[in-house]
Amino acid sequence: MKMNNIELPAEQTPEFSSVDETSLIVVIFDSNPGQKLLRDNPHILTHCLDSIIAFSNSHLMQKAQNKLAVMACHSKKSEFIFPGSGKPLDVRQIDGQYETFTLVEKTIKQNLAKHLAGESPMLNTESLLAGAIAMALCYIARLQRSKSPGCMLNSRILVVTGSSDSAMQYMNYMNVFFTAQKQNVVIDVCALDQHLSLLQQGCDITGGLYLKIPQLQGLLQYLLWVFLPEPPIRQKLVLPPPAKVDYRAACFCHRELIDIGYVCSVCLSIFCKFSPICTTCHTVFKIPPLAVKAKKKKIKL
Amino acid sequence: MADNGSSSTSAVLSLNKFSNLECKNLHDYLRTRPQNILEKLYNHPTICLAVYRELPELARQYVIRILFVEQPVPQAVVASWGSQAFSKEHVYVSKVLSELSVWQEASIPGGLLGWILSPTFKKNLKITLLGGGKPWSMSSALDTDNKARDVAFLDSYSLERWECVLHYMVGSQQQEGISADAVRILLHAGLMKRDEEDGSPVITRQGFQFLLLDRHAQVWHFILQYLDTVEQRGLDLVECLTFLFQLSFSTLGKDYSTEGMSQGLLVFLQHLREFGLVYQRKRKAGRFYPTRLAINITSSAANKSAPVLDDDTHKGYIVVETNYRVYAYTDSNLQVALISLFTELMYRFPNLVVGVITRESVRQALRGGITADQIIGYLKQHAHEQMLQDSRNPLPPTVVDQIKLWELERNRLTYQEGVLYSQFLSQADYNVLKEYAQTNGHLIWSHKEKRTLVINKCAHDDVKKFWKRYSKGS
Repeated sequence: MKMNNIELPAEQTPEFSSVDETSLIVVIFDSNPGQKLLRDNPHILTHCLDSIIAFSNSHLMQKAQNKLAVMACHSKKSEFIFPGSGKPLDVRQIDGQYETFTLVEKTIKQNLAKHLAGESPMLNTESLLAGAIAMALCYIARLQRSKSPGCMLNSRILVVTGSSDSAMQYMNYMNVFFTAQKQNVVIDVCALDQHLSLLQQGCDITGGLYLKIPQLQGLLQYLLWVFLPEPPIRQKLVLPPPAKVDYRAACFCHRELIDIGYVCSVCLSIFCKFSPICTTCHTVFKIPPLAVKAKKKKIKL
Repeated sequence: MADNGSSSTSAVLSLNKFSNLECKNLHDYLRTRPQNILEKLYNHPTICLAVYRELPELARQYVIRILFVEQPVPQAVVASWGSQAFSKEHVYVSKVLSELSVWQEASIPGGLLGWILSPTFKKNLKITLLGGGKPWSMSSALDTDNKARDVAFLDSYSLERWECVLHYMVGSQQQEGISADAVRILLHAGLMKRDEEDGSPVITRQGFQFLLLDRHAQVWHFILQYLDTVEQRGLDLVECLTFLFQLSFSTLGKDYSTEGMSQGLLVFLQHLREFGLVYQRKRKAGRFYPTRLAINITSSAANKSAPVLDDDTHKGYIVVETNYRVYAYTDSNLQVALISLFTELMYRFPNLVVGVITRESVRQALRGGITADQIIGYLKQHAHEQMLQDSRNPLPPTVVDQIKLWELERNRLTYQEGVLYSQFLSQADYNVLKEYAQTNGHLIWSHKEKRTLVINKCAHDDVKKFWKRYSKGS
């Protein structure tokens, strides 16, 4: 008889850490008809939409408690197209599809059609992605507050866009990125057409993934492979490594990306040229004397 | 020490006599089904969805990655999807997928082995996700119910029905309202047994463990036991399972039609109605409402903490303090009876019971076959909202640790069969044999002065042979 040590029976099946959390995803779909991709070939919109619906349903399929929101983003406003405003549609099964998935598909299509119909055929302006992300953050914050105690929620935002990011919204972008970082919300970006350096910064800041897809045909596969795994299990999978991120800032005067510029010592606004009054906080600066070190410091990145 | 030793010995023996309550999840249940039943089951989109959701996380990612791939994917490629640090998990996940025959091995031209999703599973999972195929049986159109029931009504109804079963088990006040059929299932499941004297059913120790489970697990376990008996009743197992899963994926507060259901299914529906899984106003109403008990019935084991539905309000009532006091805000006899299984009750007020967890009370529960994890699980699951503010550990860690330690102290002894070697003629003989046993790892215990050895029983022959050789040689 052996008396000394306590031995526990070995576990029968290996217990692997599994996340027991609700996962919320807010998909922001840039459906602005003004973007180059859609102007060239309007049919791409349906292709993208189908992929996004299939992706959203796959997300809901992962776990019974997973949550989903889908937004459409335009040049004038952004809107939630799922869950839509008002009463949910009364859906009965028409084929073998799971009822909830049918509901998602119908609602998204219906609301997007409404949204597009309300759009005035207008000049091509850029999509308000930063605003849409801000709305998504508000939505996430609300769910975080209203969730029952003891329930864990991990949330992320997926931006699917074909438009280019201009430095026009630089400030707004930075604000939402840092808010997201503070709220522990991951921002993923799927670029359909052009490389988006600003949004890539956002992914890097919040720990999300950035992918510029090589070909539009396989959109659904790219979404499922790269963006479906929720953040806690991403470490278990081999996913595209983060590329070198271009961290240039945009100046506040001309919205151009610059390497070296002037920074206001009071509010940290960035300018490409020296100006005696800061346009953001109205601080007055002396004109630097010649050849003496300027009051404004040069920054190097 | 001696006292301790003897008491744990007897406890261990008694534990061996009564097997613990075995609670299977969907995965374990399906794994034990024969292959042909699995294949039949995968013909239904609902079951594919349920199986998919019960897969381990990584497996779900694998399946979705090859869902749209028509040819086999080399195994090496699949292995490269996971990162190196988690290769063990990959092996485990691959095993699970093969066990459930979600994927099969297939050879690829070039001599490599690859994985391919089972065609039936793939087809039906795609149908669930993207549409196509035939609608599920219960979804034929219905005109609106003029006496529609809302969610709150359904909740209270299902709660009442289910509590009826539980109350019956502990034999507290309400004895009526449960059918002979339900009693038979309880007996079959071993949760209750016939009393030797008067033949009336009494609760068993498995029954108590059953009561400590959370509601979802209870329903699932009960239904599994029910399904075991389904074939004896002349019902088709596959049909019933399919229907159960359909229910589990239906929407709360919506009515569904009974049109087109076979006679067997209608009988099954009546049984479910009795346990409160569905609500029907009249037997022949032609429509039914699934209740919260039925919805997401399959996801019981995986996620206890996360409420599935938005309005799934948490109704915790237990507060545990670091001084081992337990306050339970309840007036239900059932809950009081459960708490008294492992606490010493001190006071009872109309809406509050105060007890204290002591070594004796916990040991008594442990002797009864309840495990520490079950006690902790029960406290956690019914923790008062106030306790959940700190979502990481709702219970005081000291109490949790202490309960575990109390369980461990019962497992101080490990048993090993051995053979005693004694009465060596010389110290040299003793040393030689001890040396031999030690180098081969057979030695369990030795005492130099008394010249005694205890050798592992399975090595006895080997050591005996050695001893014969040795004594001949010398």
